[in-house]
Amino acid sequence: MLRIDGVSYRYRNTDAPALRDISLAIPAGGVYGLLGPNGAGKTTLISLLAGLLTAGLGEISLDGQPLAVARAENPRAIALVPQDYAFYPMLTVSENLRFFAGVLGLSAAEQKTQSAAAIAFARLEQVVGKRADQLSGGLRRRLNLAIGLLGRPQLLLLDEPTVGVDPQSRHFLLDAIAALPAAGTSVIYTSHYMEEVEAICPQIAIIDQGQVLVDGALSDLLRSPEPLLELTLDRPLPAELGERYAARQEGALKYCLELPSTAALPRLLDELAAAACTVHQLNLGQHNLEQVFMQLTKRSLRD
Amino acid sequence: MSPRLLALWLKESIALLRDRHGLLALFIMPTIFILVMTMALRDAFTPGVSIDVSYSVVDLDRSPLSQALIKRLKKGASFQLRDESTDLDAARRSLLDGEQNLVLVLPKEFGSRLLTPGGTDGRPAEPLTLLVDPALTPALQLAFRNQVMAALGAVRADELTSKAGQLFGLPVAPGASVAREWPDEIRSEAVRNDHNARLPSSVQQNVPAWLIFAMFFVVIPVSSIFIIERHQGTLQRLRAIGVPFRLILAGKLLPFFIVNQLQAVLMVLVGIFLVPLFGSEALALPERLPLLLEWWVVSAAVSLAAVAWALLVASLARTSEQATVVGGVSNILMGAIGGIMVPKFIMPAAMQKLAALSPMAWGLEGFHIVMLRHGSFVDLMPSLGRLLAFAILSLALAIWLNHRSLAAQS
Repeated sequence: MLRIDGVSYRYRNTDAPALRDISLAIPAGGVYGLLGPNGAGKTTLISLLAGLLTAGLGEISLDGQPLAVARAENPRAIALVPQDYAFYPMLTVSENLRFFAGVLGLSAAEQKTQSAAAIAFARLEQVVGKRADQLSGGLRRRLNLAIGLLGRPQLLLLDEPTVGVDPQSRHFLLDAIAALPAAGTSVIYTSHYMEEVEAICPQIAIIDQGQVLVDGALSDLLRSPEPLLELTLDRPLPAELGERYAARQEGALKYCLELPSTAALPRLLDELAAAACTVHQLNLGQHNLEQVFMQLTKRSLRD
Repeated sequence: MSPRLLALWLKESIALLRDRHGLLALFIMPTIFILVMTMALRDAFTPGVSIDVSYSVVDLDRSPLSQALIKRLKKGASFQLRDESTDLDAARRSLLDGEQNLVLVLPKEFGSRLLTPGGTDGRPAEPLTLLVDPALTPALQLAFRNQVMAALGAVRADELTSKAGQLFGLPVAPGASVAREWPDEIRSEAVRNDHNARLPSSVQQNVPAWLIFAMFFVVIPVSSIFIIERHQGTLQRLRAIGVPFRLILAGKLLPFFIVNQLQAVLMVLVGIFLVPLFGSEALALPERLPLLLEWWVVSAAVSLAAVAWALLVASLARTSEQATVVGGVSNILMGAIGGIMVPKFIMPAAMQKLAALSPMAWGLEGFHIVMLRHGSFVDLMPSLGRLLAFAILSLALAIWLNHRSLAAQS
């Protein structure tokens, strides 16, 4: 279990803190989704967990031990897979794996077995002798992930691991990541792709402006007592109706409304008819993660 | 040995071996410079060597004394006597055709009026005439004129001595003055510690100079790999793994040190085997083992300074372009003021003082102490001390820059 208690962090020469009193309990044995818009503080939090930064205030502990102590006892306990292709383009796949296994301090025998396991896990057998700069985007992502697994980490930090890959590679990577907890590696997964997080993260946290907006089980977050209504109209939704039903505009004439109950739907349709609005499309259902995310973080552009 | 350091060395070596263009530049560039500059500066470094300017003499007198003057001029050896004739028109034509640069005309009665140039009969002796190619530099014209004046004075003095000797019944060297061989009156000697050492040649000056220059050019591959590591997040990943920055730097030192030593071996081989094929003297390394060891110590010290400097530039630069500009320009400046491109001894005094600021000059001085002056380790200490201090300072600055960069994030 990874615990983050009241962690704050401020970069030098900045006014606003990057993280403000963050507290999270991340259970072991799962894939934990960490979401937030650009500049929300995800990378800062990941950097703190990876040991690249040191928290100004608060404490981080892994299985009850302060993070620094846990890292000193087992330097391979936490591994980082950065968003960049953090390996050597002029080295082959096997040379990259051997190098990172070497700097992890693995013995020659461990280097061999761990490299072989990482190659098998990321299905890199066909390209082990190929230079990394000759690999496709998907294969590079797989190599990036494979390097992160060399030390058999207890916790793997994945920073947007599917950026720029084709759907096939993306599905392969998601399946592979989802299988990691069964092999003893917990995962913290950051991504902007909501459907990915919905697919593989049973627990999530959404942070924005350095604060946790919400955290917990994904199913709880998506469950809402109020039904969600998606409407596509032929003209703008009257302001009065928008206010009453907490409408969010999701497209030119597409709106998302929160109904007090399904019984309220006939009345709404009558009101729309009275306002001369024709309904082109109507969809009554639950929230999805993107809607929750947008509702919490608002629609304003971040960079 | 630390397996982490071993992995870093191996990675750096493979990355370097894959950079074929960088390697070619490190080995081909100094080879070409050594060949070109050794030939270009061959005469500038060898005392008393002949100047590649030819002259001919038109001897209208054909007297023993005019022959004595010609013999004296030949002895001067700085200019090349191409032809000796009595045909003034042919000599003029050859000058116009560019076949030679200077023609010295010895007039009739040169010998008979040698001791009375002012004339005893009221008419002065006809002067010697010097026909010159107008394209010839004034400095060379003046040098030849001085050489003729010196030879003329010597022949005149010799004749006077001979006549005075006969007059006063003093002992006179046997044989006519024209047939007499004169010993060398001026001899050039390089001052050094080993009396058997040979005079320095252009190749002995240029091989170490361009070797130093090439060693410092490791800044290009060092910084290009380093900037890839920084931009691609590899350094961040290594830090997350817990690899300290000083270990990353140490991982780069040895591979590039070995590259520098391979450059040294190749440049020495070029000096010994390739340079003579282009008409210059072969490089002569010191024959005694202690001097060879000193030579290697200087090479190692230059290498440490070069790699440390490269690591500092790589830490300073944000992009490959910046590293190429900063590293390349600083190397050229260090080479220019350090006596690599332009030999220090032909610089003005102020520039020679400025040269003392260049690490390349310290390295060149070290090589010269070993190769030209056959100095001891004690003689080498100032050069070695400066180079090692420069290396330590550069590495310390590189580490400090990295800490500062991390501190800026926190």
